[in-house]
Amino acid sequence: MSTGLIARTTATLLLFGLAGCTAYAQSASPAKPVLQPAPHAIQVLQIESSEIKLPPAFQMAIYEHSLDEIKKTALFQEIYRDGDRRASGATDLVTLKTDVTGFKKGSAMARQVTTVAGKTSIKVHIEVVKGDGTVLAQKDVEGKVRFFGENMRATFDLSKAIAKALKENFKKPAAAGKS
Amino acid sequence: MLTNRCAPARFLRLCATRIALTLAAASLLSLGALAQQQPQPPKPVPKRVKSVLGFPDIKKNENCDVDVSGSSLKLKGSTASAEVQTSSIEDVLTGDDSARLIGGFVGTLTSFGPYGSGRFLSLFRKKLDTLTIQYRDSDGGLHGGILSMNPGEAIALKKVLVAAGAKTSVPIDESAKPAGDQKP
Repeated sequence: MSTGLIARTTATLLLFGLAGCTAYAQSASPAKPVLQPAPHAIQVLQIESSEIKLPPAFQMAIYEHSLDEIKKTALFQEIYRDGDRRASGATDLVTLKTDVTGFKKGSAMARQVTTVAGKTSIKVHIEVVKGDGTVLAQKDVEGKVRFFGENMRATFDLSKAIAKALKENFKKPAAAGKS
Repeated sequence: MLTNRCAPARFLRLCATRIALTLAAASLLSLGALAQQQPQPPKPVPKRVKSVLGFPDIKKNENCDVDVSGSSLKLKGSTASAEVQTSSIEDVLTGDDSARLIGGFVGTLTSFGPYGSGRFLSLFRKKLDTLTIQYRDSDGGLHGGILSMNPGEAIALKKVLVAAGAKTSVPIDESAKPAGDQKP
């Protein structure tokens, strides 16, 4: 009698465990987007800020930090700056266009004194475009400094977010393809 | 009897001293206010600036010597130096910023001070001028360099750069607003 009870309890627990595992597996692995192989070269264009008035120092800081962060991802074998003449001869070249869509200049002093106020945020729309105009990837990205740091740190945060967005869309080229 | 005669005299002397001190303090304050109202003379071209970013070989946030001689802008850091031809500079723009008076590693440590002392120290900030320089390298690639310096010095440096052949999209007279006159 007691043996039967133990067997039933064990079977029930196993069933629950199996069901739980299945549910966890379904929730933990959502359908991942298929990553495209990263193009050979990328040209980072100057940050566009036509509608939103972004200070020139912020504009240039985003541009320079983005170049650094994209280099760190090692997705692209060649990275060109805006206007670089060598880009015209590059094969499989894409361009990264960045357009500022929102900017809120907070206060570093307010952040350091109150912790909760004075957030600085910059919102941009990025597009990775092929030579024929085909958009390979696009995303709205935000960079912010909420607790510590000066306002300019938002540009660094934004650049990291841009690099992350690229990593979410492209995968590194195969090892055999490396030169 | 002697003490009775001296007491009013001492009292008068004390009062006179106090009045003199008060008047001196008031005149000093009024002189300070007057000095603030008068337009400040233009600042000289800085000799030392902080390279925030964008100049090859020079580390970020490194203090360096700056020199505009002939047709080039030269920056010399502790280990490396950079030279930008003024003819390759497409735009020079001034801006303003502020930074903690006690910055760097010590500034970070003070934020953990007891009884809110770190927050209190955060109230003390210094104003800064920024100079953004857009230039092209030999391949035509765009670079953006940012320099920070004391208030009023960015305009002086911009004038020298423009005189040496750099271009600017904002005329100097319009951009001539020292950071010290603006709200932090």
